[in-house]
Amino acid sequence: MAQPQTAATETSLIEQAQNSDRNAFGELVRRHYQGVVLVVYRMCGDTGLAEDAAQEAFLRAWVHLPSYQPQACLRNWLYRIAINAALDVLRRKPEETLEEEDAQMVTDQAPGPETALIEKERVVLLQQAMKSLPEAARSVLVLREYSGLSYQEIASILEVPVGTVMSRLNYARNRLREILNLYKAKTESEYA
Amino acid sequence: MHEDMRTLLNAYLDGELNGWRLLEMQTHLASCAACRNELKELRLVSDLLQANSAPEFTPAERFVSQLTLSLPRPVLEPGLPRRLLRDRLPKFGSLAGWLVPAGLLGAWFFVQTVFTLTGVITAANITGLLGHAASWLGSGQESIWFSAVTSLFGGQAVGTLPTLSLLNNVSVFGANLLSGFLWQALIVLLFWAWLSIWWLSGGLRPMKMRNAS
Repeated sequence: MAQPQTAATETSLIEQAQNSDRNAFGELVRRHYQGVVLVVYRMCGDTGLAEDAAQEAFLRAWVHLPSYQPQACLRNWLYRIAINAALDVLRRKPEETLEEEDAQMVTDQAPGPETALIEKERVVLLQQAMKSLPEAARSVLVLREYSGLSYQEIASILEVPVGTVMSRLNYARNRLREILNLYKAKTESEYA
Repeated sequence: MHEDMRTLLNAYLDGELNGWRLLEMQTHLASCAACRNELKELRLVSDLLQANSAPEFTPAERFVSQLTLSLPRPVLEPGLPRRLLRDRLPKFGSLAGWLVPAGLLGAWFFVQTVFTLTGVITAANITGLLGHAASWLGSGQESIWFSAVTSLFGGQAVGTLPTLSLLNNVSVFGANLLSGFLWQALIVLLFWAWLSIWWLSGGLRPMKMRNAS
């Protein structure tokens, strides 16, 4: 059963899944799992939450699949569901969970050269800063930085004009840049 | 100029500029140290974001197995029967889709013509306007009750024959009228059925991708 399905085109798998074929849907999930789970992880910043959100996203996709129009790109459709699921999961989850994981990430860093440590700290700092971004700006940043989507694709997923994608991305990156510059000034003054 | 270019730095970084916009940006960057510096910082932000590798997640196979077990029965949404019909029936724009109403219209025209001509000829025959020219029509149609009366009473009914004959003609005309109406009603019914199926299958309305929340 698995072999013919692997060879099957996405369109035929969608048609079968729309007719309640769970195996076909499973194959579609298998194909898009990695992309979806990465998007939700970057939105949530937490492995457990990301897996919950991914599960919720695929469940929603299954429920809404009969109304899916094959003309639209399935990946983009799934990403839109995934982002909404991630935001819903985040709204339900207490804030402390995220902060605990971030703290754990910092203390887990193995001692190494000073520059490497600073580099890792900056990465963690940016991850935390990302969580402080407004949801709309964060969604655009995640889809661009981690999924590598074009502005047009992001606009299509989020149902906003390309100009809005550009302005949100400008806002998000400039915000992170400011935070990074503040951190840089702080560490430089500490070392001085 | 400088501010305009600044707002496009991210688009430049992401390779979203092309044509004269790209050339304009490259020219500007060559002469503007502030923008070059900002671009460098934006690139650093992007690099640092991507440097943070993702952790290990549940393997896809296990995730799919768990998910498949928890899949609910798909909800038949209100639009689903229409979609299924749309998939199975000939498309409205196709030849097969147009043949049904065209055939029904042709059938209606045929029935209407036959009915009208029959009525005209029958009326002309009754009033004797056609004279001997209508001899090919035979002795005319006879209703069941007229045939029964003439066979039962024969010559005894001769005295009342013109009256009975007139009643017979009226009766035949009524039967033809009813028959014509029944045919037309059947055609209208079939046309309505086709219209309903067409509407259920999506009609001419544009299909939109629904938002899954």
